[in-house]
Amino acid sequence: MSNTINPRVQGKTYWRSLDHLAETPEFKELVEKEFPEGADELKNPVSRRKFLSLMGASMALAGLTSCRRPVEKIIPYVVKPEEIIPGKPQYYATNMPFGTESFGLLVESHEGRPTKIEGNKNHPASGGSSNVFMQAEMLNLYDPDRSQIILNKGKNSSWQAYRAAWKKLAAEHVETGGEGLAILSESFSSPTMMRLSEAFMEKFPQATWVTYDSVSDENIFAGIQAATGALARPKYRFKEANVVLSLDSDFLQMDSNDIPHARDFAGRRKVRSENDSMNRLYVVEGTYTITGGMADHRLRVQSGQVGMFAAALAHELSAQGLDIKAPRVNADFDKKWISSVAKDLLANRGKSLVLGGRRQPPEVHTLIALINDVLGNTNQTVAYSNNPDMQVSNLKSFVGLTQSMNAGKIESLVILGGNPVYQAPAGVDFAAGLKKVNHSVHLSSHVDETSANTTWHINEAHFLESWGDVSGYGGAGIIQPLIAPLFDGKSNIDVLADLLSDEEVWAYGVIQETWRGLLGTGNFDKAWRKAVHDGFHASSRETPVSMNKSRAQGAVSMSRYYSSTASPDDMEVIFTASFTNYDGRYANNGWMQELPDPVTKVTWDNVALISANTAKHLGVKNQDRLKISNGATDVVLPVWIQPGMADNTVALELGYGREIGRVSTGVGSNVSILRNTSGMNIASGFTAEKAFGAHILACVQDHHGFDEEKLAADAIQKRLPTIVRESTLSDYQKDPEFAMAFAEKNELKGMWKEHDYSEGNQWGMAIDLTSCTGCSACTIACQSENNIPVIGKDEVSNGRDMSWIRLDRYYTGDVEDPEMVFQPIACQHCEMAPCEGVCPVAATTHSDEGLNEMAYNRCIGTRYCSNNCPYKVRRFNFFNYTKDMPEIVEMAMNPDVSIRFRGVMEKCTFCVQRINVAKIDVKNEGRDLEDGDIVVACQQACPTDAIAFGNINDPNSEVSKMKAQNRDYALLGELNLQPRTSYGAKLRNPNPDLETEHAVAEHTA
Amino acid sequence: MSILNKHPQRDSAATEAVGGDELLVTGGHTFSTLTDKVSGIVETQTPPKWYLLFAMAVSGLMVLMGAIGWLVWEGTGIWGLNNPVGWGWAIVNFVFWVGIGHAGTLISAILFLLRQQWRTAINRFAEAMTIFAVISALVFPGIHVGRVWLAYYMFPIPNQMLIWPNFRSPLLWDIFAVGTYFTVSTLFWYVGLIPDLATLRDRATNVRKKVLGFFALGWRGGNRQWQHYEKAYLMLAGLATPLVLSVHSVVATDFATSMVPGWHTTIFPPYFVAGAVFSGFGMVMTLAIIARKIYGLEDIITVNHLEKMNKIILVTGSMVGYAYMTEFFIAWYSGNEYEFFAFINRALGPYAWAYWIMFLCNVITPQIFWFKRLRRSIPVMFVASIFVNIGMWFERFVITVTSLSRDYLPSSWDYYSPSIWDILTFVGSFGLFFTFFLLFLRFLPMVALSEVKGVMPEADPHHYHHKPKSAGGAK
Repeated sequence: MSNTINPRVQGKTYWRSLDHLAETPEFKELVEKEFPEGADELKNPVSRRKFLSLMGASMALAGLTSCRRPVEKIIPYVVKPEEIIPGKPQYYATNMPFGTESFGLLVESHEGRPTKIEGNKNHPASGGSSNVFMQAEMLNLYDPDRSQIILNKGKNSSWQAYRAAWKKLAAEHVETGGEGLAILSESFSSPTMMRLSEAFMEKFPQATWVTYDSVSDENIFAGIQAATGALARPKYRFKEANVVLSLDSDFLQMDSNDIPHARDFAGRRKVRSENDSMNRLYVVEGTYTITGGMADHRLRVQSGQVGMFAAALAHELSAQGLDIKAPRVNADFDKKWISSVAKDLLANRGKSLVLGGRRQPPEVHTLIALINDVLGNTNQTVAYSNNPDMQVSNLKSFVGLTQSMNAGKIESLVILGGNPVYQAPAGVDFAAGLKKVNHSVHLSSHVDETSANTTWHINEAHFLESWGDVSGYGGAGIIQPLIAPLFDGKSNIDVLADLLSDEEVWAYGVIQETWRGLLGTGNFDKAWRKAVHDGFHASSRETPVSMNKSRAQGAVSMSRYYSSTASPDDMEVIFTASFTNYDGRYANNGWMQELPDPVTKVTWDNVALISANTAKHLGVKNQDRLKISNGATDVVLPVWIQPGMADNTVALELGYGREIGRVSTGVGSNVSILRNTSGMNIASGFTAEKAFGAHILACVQDHHGFDEEKLAADAIQKRLPTIVRESTLSDYQKDPEFAMAFAEKNELKGMWKEHDYSEGNQWGMAIDLTSCTGCSACTIACQSENNIPVIGKDEVSNGRDMSWIRLDRYYTGDVEDPEMVFQPIACQHCEMAPCEGVCPVAATTHSDEGLNEMAYNRCIGTRYCSNNCPYKVRRFNFFNYTKDMPEIVEMAMNPDVSIRFRGVMEKCTFCVQRINVAKIDVKNEGRDLEDGDIVVACQQACPTDAIAFGNINDPNSEVSKMKAQNRDYALLGELNLQPRTSYGAKLRNPNPDLETEHAVAEHTA
Repeated sequence: MSILNKHPQRDSAATEAVGGDELLVTGGHTFSTLTDKVSGIVETQTPPKWYLLFAMAVSGLMVLMGAIGWLVWEGTGIWGLNNPVGWGWAIVNFVFWVGIGHAGTLISAILFLLRQQWRTAINRFAEAMTIFAVISALVFPGIHVGRVWLAYYMFPIPNQMLIWPNFRSPLLWDIFAVGTYFTVSTLFWYVGLIPDLATLRDRATNVRKKVLGFFALGWRGGNRQWQHYEKAYLMLAGLATPLVLSVHSVVATDFATSMVPGWHTTIFPPYFVAGAVFSGFGMVMTLAIIARKIYGLEDIITVNHLEKMNKIILVTGSMVGYAYMTEFFIAWYSGNEYEFFAFINRALGPYAWAYWIMFLCNVITPQIFWFKRLRRSIPVMFVASIFVNIGMWFERFVITVTSLSRDYLPSSWDYYSPSIWDILTFVGSFGLFFTFFLLFLRFLPMVALSEVKGVMPEADPHHYHHKPKSAGGAK
């Protein structure tokens, strides 16, 4: 590998040779023989010593780069300082693979230690934003329960031993052409992985390659394949769509490419003044998602009937003059609703978009493609493309593999990531099959359910520790490591490349080889460096796939869209990826377990979501235990009544009930045992009954609003219009000042002479409720940036959740079919802050720049400030929450923010550390602060740009502009606290045809 | 009101009631028998019953120490507090004990200035109770903070950080108000004790004599001494009087200056003072009934005294009840939705049980004292006095907790329930109180001998010729 960029590296031979010495197999063998105890230490580098040495090395003392870097050059992104300044973070672009998706990242690294993940601004998908999964990867990297060593039949082993074993085996397989050899991978989208998999199949032509994910877009691919004839995924252009109809798609959060979708969708809802327009969203769904919360009209339909709805819509469109045929369905949907939606879609031909969720079966996606086509949307708001680097999950081949394994036909099996034993649906006995496989290898981040049954377990490196590449939304990107593997883990490229080679291979070289083809002719080194630096290479690997209407129409005509209506004796169960655990990959991540589900607000558990009607019928209430049975097997879960759920439907979250570490153990139950191959996503024929006992849930926001307690419910409904001010676009146009209608009519007077804040930088925030989807990325971003502790289920149940920015969720309207709104609440930095006056020790005070500051060292913890805060944003360290923090998790902490001890109050600081860094930077650059120099963590994460932060004394700053809008209001403004955070009233854009009772309700508020 | 400490022979005549007026001391006591009676309590051998009670009280104290130790070791989280409810039982207990600590100084100072002579029977006793209640109260602000070891930041101590406490904070006012009150009450109590300590000294021998002698400050009972003493006592009474009103007013500002609906009301200072007097008298009553029975002080603390206290309980209880209703009226009249909800929520919300316990105990119970028969019935007043204290504890609970649990943004609403440590700390604070109180009963004269003697007919040189002017002078 070439490594001649920095000539100064030559001076560091001392370190390199020592390092090399430690790395050689002879040396390791020697050590293992001599000191079997100490050998662990060498391979198991969680020890402080190793950490320090890693850090020391990366710290590049005396201005020199790390000892690792000359070999594998990683390139700082935004600024490349002449000298690395300790305490000054560097930013590296990289990519995060996530199934067939990927996210472009910009990772903050302090002295070689990655501490914070942001979106890569130049990446077409991330665009600088992030979602909860991206943010949470920071903690996954430092998961102390990650597997730290290679195991052979449960005993500590080494990479050398594994390689030796494999080489012997490979020789045998080469002879038979790979007969009896199989690889099971997770779905991926990576040029190098694809190249290697092709090379693998070339070397072992008789081998089997199977890809399986328990949560995937398989159905979408299959449906589009039926419509186009090619393996393709739809790409939505929300920017172009005036009317969006989502059929069970949570495109704002859980479905693929949520970030660009959310951004583009919300981009069409940015209303600067009453003259602007908005798109319109119709949502048809069974469980309540945040996408449903954003809907202008939401139709509550059992998930199994969404196909019927699509068919009924096709009929309606046909009746309104479009050339589309769909099988007749005997459905009982709101006729007015369907005809109004159809009318709206028709009126926006070529400017409308219908999309389906990944839960829906392939034929629904085919029909949706057809509907889009007849609406003229193809290539306008939706296009189809094939990605040659993509390996899509295929349930059928996974079932086939399991059968072969059980039949004893598989001699050797290499599992690249994933946890098939846990993820396999009922009836696919992968675990039994695995026992019949003579040689099995499992690459996995944790010693999990699958590892326990394989011959070899290889500890997987995190993507922040390894080289790799991705290919996806609009182009390809390189994954560059931010840190040397903490536990000497291997990536899937390492393992796969090694399967193919006799020599020791380095992923870096393998990837460069792939990219030599990708980057075209010219100076490769230069192009490579640019690609690594940018984190993204724009030339798209995707090829457009054209829609074939007659093919789609044919497929639709052949399909059945009829499903029986679920009833109490034949209930529908839908399996959803957990909002926080996803398919289980974040199960051992404390941030994620403690992140409240945005809709239910439940943490640390998976629940059985049912509607209020169903609950009444079953005779259960919240936190009762419910036994859900499909006849063969059953699962008992706590009940959570979800307003807006379809009746006779139970929604269950996957990804729980894992026992892979200290966080995941004992949290929730595994519901995939209720899944079977015919009902992977939506299944029928279930019964549910009350089980004995209760299960306490840690919910951060009580179910008020639809409480049994009428007193509270009434009070909330009365208050709500002033807390979350909401109107419709048309009413807003009639009355642009509606948000002010709730304000105090009399002039508000202070009791003392108020401080003059008219000079200098005055920090403020504006949050647009119209854009906020409730995705919670801000909450996790804030947790990561500000070292907010994870406190555990008990403490959350005690009502002590620590989030500095929380998302309040309120329902309005009917309990069975309510609307839902979100309101992000962090410290409002009141100019007349009520918390400041009451602190006896002056631990919380106001800065000249309008920040409400906490002096942790001064705080003695009277909690009076918190009592007196009407927004209840202050968070108290009731215990020493960081006491038991594993040493390795300390590495995830942001060194710019202090860790709070017990007995101390904390709260949002407006990311004062970022403000100060920016101030110092511009001072060094000899200029004044400009709008955009300071980006606070929540603002940075927000995919819909709902949050603006900046100097409110600068009339041209984004925040001033947002505050100048007539929708802007101060929450609890009548208290005259003069909060620096203000909210842009929420607007919806309902269809006037459907808007009757709704408008009346809005206006009386 | 010149009194001689020790004239056993002189006062043997005063054995019969004079002129049909009620005597403050009954049972035909003379100065000498009175002295014997009261001093005898601390001079005779400690009764086994006392040991039993003391063991119980010390056990309670140990519980308190244990609970505090665990609190300091582990953190405030051992209590049931949560995010909206940042103050729970600790603050409730603080206000409860401070409230109880009102009666003593009120009886000694204000009633002294108002020449209510019946107060003499109970003032020593009540003052001691005050001091111990304030000590019990002061435990709580100290331990309820998150970082106990830095609680001294609240004091205006010059320091290298050049930081003063925040003088705008009512918690700081609290420190000053309660601190001053404690200091003045203790001084007042001690000054009142001096003549009686001298009496005890004169009857004692050996070490006891020396110790008592030290604390009696060389009291001889001379005219000059009495002259100075009475001036000092009067001045202290004058100083203590505004404090009686100020201390609980300031405690009330802890709540009233905040902006929590249900706390932010201007009625709090007077209403808190009335409540404090109410609860203080309740506690004095409970203790007095027990003590007079055990120590046979029925002649000194007579039913007449108790009846007078019951009248005060009736008055202050009615004031408290009136305040409850005013609060409701103002909450409605203000047109402030949050305020009105805070009160409706108290009466009908999840803490309605606490509210109605409070209402029943504080407003309904004292109304029985409109009836003379009940007012003079020892069992009735004993039960009622306990009810009063239960009610007053709940009043503070209702104010503190219900207001916090549901304030402005419904998203943050949460229910508070105490943990076992909250309960143990509260129980333990009674241990602390009774430990002090039992020690007091054992080692110090529980009745202000010199003052009681002063209101006996014998103390009035003209008592054979004139009717006593104000003996038994009820309010």
